[in-house]
Amino acid sequence: MKKFLFLSIFVTTGLLYGAAALCQDWTSLKEASRNIRSVQAEFLQKRYLRILTKPLLSQGKLFFYAPDSIRWEYLTPLRSVTLQKGETIQIYNFSDGVWKPEMAQAIESRRMVLAEISQWFQGRFDESKGFKHFYSPGPPARVVMVPGEGINRFVRRIEIVLSVRPGVIDRVEIEEPEGSRTSIEFRNVEINSNFSPHVFEKP
Amino acid sequence: MIRRNGLDICLLGFLIFSAGCVPISKTIPISGSPDDLPGCYALFPSKPWESVHRIEATLRGGGSFSMVGVTKGEPSERQLQSLLLTAEGFILFDAERRNSRITVRKAVPPFDSPAFAKGLMEDVALLFLPPQAKPTSWRRDANGAMICNWEGPEDPHTEITGSTDSGWQILQRDKQGQVIKEVALSGPFVNGLASRMELRASKPASYRLRMTLVQPSP
Repeated sequence: MKKFLFLSIFVTTGLLYGAAALCQDWTSLKEASRNIRSVQAEFLQKRYLRILTKPLLSQGKLFFYAPDSIRWEYLTPLRSVTLQKGETIQIYNFSDGVWKPEMAQAIESRRMVLAEISQWFQGRFDESKGFKHFYSPGPPARVVMVPGEGINRFVRRIEIVLSVRPGVIDRVEIEEPEGSRTSIEFRNVEINSNFSPHVFEKP
Repeated sequence: MIRRNGLDICLLGFLIFSAGCVPISKTIPISGSPDDLPGCYALFPSKPWESVHRIEATLRGGGSFSMVGVTKGEPSERQLQSLLLTAEGFILFDAERRNSRITVRKAVPPFDSPAFAKGLMEDVALLFLPPQAKPTSWRRDANGAMICNWEGPEDPHTEITGSTDSGWQILQRDKQGQVIKEVALSGPFVNGLASRMELRASKPASYRLRMTLVQPSP
């Protein structure tokens, strides 16, 4: 009986200690993210499809300015850019030598995705409307986003791997229900650097 | 003089546009040597393959859009799987063609009609699979280019001309002899796959597909 009591105290103490450490890290993460004004980065997207033995590679650039300006641009294999400035979202595809605007229907479907990305870059994972978040202090620290009903038809799980640099995201892993997955690695990340606000307005 | 130049330009323009309307003459080769026969299949991959293409589609009326095309082929089984994706990697269309049977796994509007699936998989087959029967005639010309014909009572008439060095052309004709699809494949050829392909279809719908190989494997 004593043995079980000791074990129980040990486990409880351990859990409390773990919870305190986790709480500390989560607070630090939130604090660091609060200081992020802008993010500029390159990314390499690897799309793992069952049909391909090697992943489909795409490269691009990201610009973010808090709270809700985003430029998510693919450079290869297709040139395409999604721009958000406040409530205004525009999508352009480069075809036949010119930028062509995307249909309104396609724009609305991106609104929720862009809102999620904006929250991630500000460490506001707990404000997601479509996902529940679970924090793991690591290393590396990770935030696992589990979708609610409806979204789980398209996304099974999102894992956001955080850098040792406070508030910086290293990699995002997206798993789909049918087994495909996407990994987006961020490189040359610059925090709070200056760039033209026009990047959010024109392709 | 200025009027004369203007007239010349008009005539030139008329000739250029007229040239586009001249029907492509039918090449009727005599049957060649059995040694040349494999040349009729040289433009098609012979082993299992997979590829990623950048596709620029232009429709009649001027509308155009770009997509990523992922294709996998198993030539011995005459099996093809084809996916269309957005720049972000979202799958718009996923279908398989085994012999002539098409199975659609996923199709998002406006790519969800049976006619689209049939047309797309026919185009993919035209680009990557030789006609199933043996050519009805073939020969190698003085420059080493192959001229091959498939003419059956049921299937559309297919003509293949060219070489891996100079590039290939595939023509598909209807029963009246009119060209309904025209494909140009140009090198360099990577693992048996052309770096650039252009398909022009005139019947039943008019459109053009320009495909650039971005990721050959394995």
